[in-house]
Amino acid sequence: MTEFALEAVGVSKSFPGVKALDNVSLRLAPGEVHALLGENGAGKSTLIKILTGAHTSDTGTISLSGVVSDISSPSAAMAAGIGVVHQERNVIRGFTVGENIVMSRMPRRGPRVDWTAVRSEARRCLAMLDLDIDPDTPMAALSSAQTQLVEIARGLYTETKVLLLDEPTASISGNESDRLFRVVARLKQEGAAILFVSHKLEEVFAHCDTVTVLRDGKSILQSEPLSAHSRDEIVDIMVGRSLASLEVPTRSVDRSAPPVLELEHVNTTAGHHDVSLDLRAGEVLGLYGLVGAGRTELARAILGLERITTGTLSVHGSTASIKSVRQALQKYRIGYVTENRKEEGVFLEQSITRNIAVTVWSNLEKAFGFVSGKKERALVDSYVRDLDIRISSQDQLAGQLSGGNQQKVSLAKWLAAQTQILIIDEPTVGIDVRTKRSFYDLIWKLADDGLAILLISSDLAEMVTLADRIVVMDRFAITGEVDNTHDYDTMSQAVIRLIHAELPVS
Amino acid sequence: MKRQALAFARSQNLTLAVIIVLGVVLLGVTSGGGFFSPVSVRTFFQFLAVPILIGLAQMITVAVGQLNLAIGSIGGFAACLAGVMMADLGVPAVLGVVVTLVVGAVAGFINGWLVVATRINGFIVTLATMTILSGAQYAIVSTRTISSTNWAPIADLGKATVGGIPVVFILAIVVAVLVSLAFNHTVGGRRLLASGDNSHAAALSGISNDRSVIIAHAASGLLCGVAAFISLASLSGVNTSVGGDWLLPSFAAPIIGGVALTGGTVAILGTTLAATVVRLVDSARAEFQLAPAWVNFVIGAVVLGTVALGRAREVRDSRRAGAARAKAPQTTGPTSPGQAPTGAAS
Repeated sequence: MTEFALEAVGVSKSFPGVKALDNVSLRLAPGEVHALLGENGAGKSTLIKILTGAHTSDTGTISLSGVVSDISSPSAAMAAGIGVVHQERNVIRGFTVGENIVMSRMPRRGPRVDWTAVRSEARRCLAMLDLDIDPDTPMAALSSAQTQLVEIARGLYTETKVLLLDEPTASISGNESDRLFRVVARLKQEGAAILFVSHKLEEVFAHCDTVTVLRDGKSILQSEPLSAHSRDEIVDIMVGRSLASLEVPTRSVDRSAPPVLELEHVNTTAGHHDVSLDLRAGEVLGLYGLVGAGRTELARAILGLERITTGTLSVHGSTASIKSVRQALQKYRIGYVTENRKEEGVFLEQSITRNIAVTVWSNLEKAFGFVSGKKERALVDSYVRDLDIRISSQDQLAGQLSGGNQQKVSLAKWLAAQTQILIIDEPTVGIDVRTKRSFYDLIWKLADDGLAILLISSDLAEMVTLADRIVVMDRFAITGEVDNTHDYDTMSQAVIRLIHAELPVS
Repeated sequence: MKRQALAFARSQNLTLAVIIVLGVVLLGVTSGGGFFSPVSVRTFFQFLAVPILIGLAQMITVAVGQLNLAIGSIGGFAACLAGVMMADLGVPAVLGVVVTLVVGAVAGFINGWLVVATRINGFIVTLATMTILSGAQYAIVSTRTISSTNWAPIADLGKATVGGIPVVFILAIVVAVLVSLAFNHTVGGRRLLASGDNSHAAALSGISNDRSVIIAHAASGLLCGVAAFISLASLSGVNTSVGGDWLLPSFAAPIIGGVALTGGTVAILGTTLAATVVRLVDSARAEFQLAPAWVNFVIGAVVLGTVALGRAREVRDSRRAGAARAKAPQTTGPTSPGQAPTGAAS
């Protein structure tokens, strides 16, 4: 038996309302590069967080070189020789590059920081990546790609037997990824075990030896040689055939009708560049892209939360200058169902009645600012029925509902406000499969009733199921548009090709 | 060196230094040179020590993303407790000094521990301890004013000067230098800043944010203790009013001095200079015999103005970042060297 550098057996982890990991196992041998794959929300990041001590698992054991280890904190993981490059940027922006790299273990002389050693150690790590950044450069001065490379350099600082790379290449280009893979190859030769998380399958097939696939928190494929599977097989396993082949209703959109929402060559203060798109009544337009592609920011620009610097935004054919969410709603009838349900979507401590009627209180006003309770309840009742929101009474607090029902409440308030254009951002994150299905039916029904829907999602299977057309965004620009055939294989290929397409040069 | 000079020019320090010079000249001229008399200079610096110390005490909590509303009542209680012990119980002066420092550090430690243990917002915790300690301060001194004749050695130290500069002011500067060294050159100090800048990232680097919060509050309390000791040395006596007017200046100094309220930064020189500006406003009030309320009005307005200016700068920076992103695809992609302001590209 080979002794595994890291072996996780039967790991489970629940968060309130979600089972993030369900009996997951993973084996990393010394000198291998192991791919950890899965759709967004499949549990990859949770697993990484457990392996690095940022979360503790509910059940299961983790062994390092055959010895069961208790990784209860990030420092314990570091001491055990586990290095990590996190997906999110975890840098101290007020510090220098050098200090950020060595922060997990500051070189010191007594209580004092040994600045000479900080610089030399940082230079050593940067040199491994062939990077010529002065360690004294302030972190805040770096570009986002440079920041990501520094994040990688941090993972190389301590002597690691196990290196976890959580989507290290998500925000860097091919040239920079090559720097990373050169180091990976070297560490592999030196006998390190490397776990590589990525959405870029080209990279996975080029550099990885073994693979584990997670779906809905379960390990579907467990530590198998990658060479035994084709790329299409892997995609099928990741997405799950059952969901990809959901029955899709036949829908027809009148393409000759004038668009209700149109963006022409829009640049924004958030950094969008030459964005054009159009949306018709009764249509579900999908806006796909990876995290950080600028999709939510585009929604914010449409709602007036970011300024449009050049280009035009038209609603119902006439140029609109939207200055606030209030104006977007009342004048242009645009609603936005947020991706942050708990923070921005519902008032957790308020009743269902208040949560839904909040957008229409001015219409329900009797006199002197008093709201007609009777009308309010009747209105809310009709949406509770239409959307099939499962509540015990209207007085129930939104915080007591399940995630799916909260999402419906969040949606209902925009319907109550008689919106004509609805931007729906990541509607089914953290929602179980069955509720997802009922949500899809709801979105189709709304579109059939004449609503124009802009759907933002990072879930490709969801996009292929729901959208009539898919627009792909990358790095704050539109990289292409495809008509949706609802055939997962052809669509996923087409969309993924667009994500990595070179941006048009204007 | 060049970089440091540049950083100085860009920070609020240069502005503050210019304001101080102008203020000193103005006060010197209007007082007919009386402001530069040895007595006047000595008084100015003697009563600058406490504003510097309470400004630094607040700065330390702000640096980890906390705040300390109890600054004045920690100092007031420590001064009164030591005063009562020396006057009524005959405790020697040396021990009295130890009492002020220990009371300050312990009160601060309790603040930090309460924040960490209960997870209650630091605002509420220190609001409560502020009220409790000022109640305790009143309980031990009631309506009395305990005369400084009870701690003659300490009072003598308050009058002592080196080259015309009061010893207590030198003490405050020494504390400032120590605080600066701690934050800039010790591992512990860097950890506090890391926690304040990005607690999530700090935790993933193996830093205990709880520890940072407790250490910061304890250090803040210790500095209040030092301020209490200087109050004993400088004032003719102590009563319930000691510390009562510390809260606003304690926030004013770091905020005007350039410390971000969101945590993660310190500005020792800035805080010291800002405390000096506040002290100048106070001197001007005495010089022109204005109502004390006028000082509060000016300081309040300056604090508001500084914060508004900082917010405007933030908005401008985020706009610039967006503009840089919009330009990026036109050139060679998001990693073009042109996007890094320092030109430190790979």
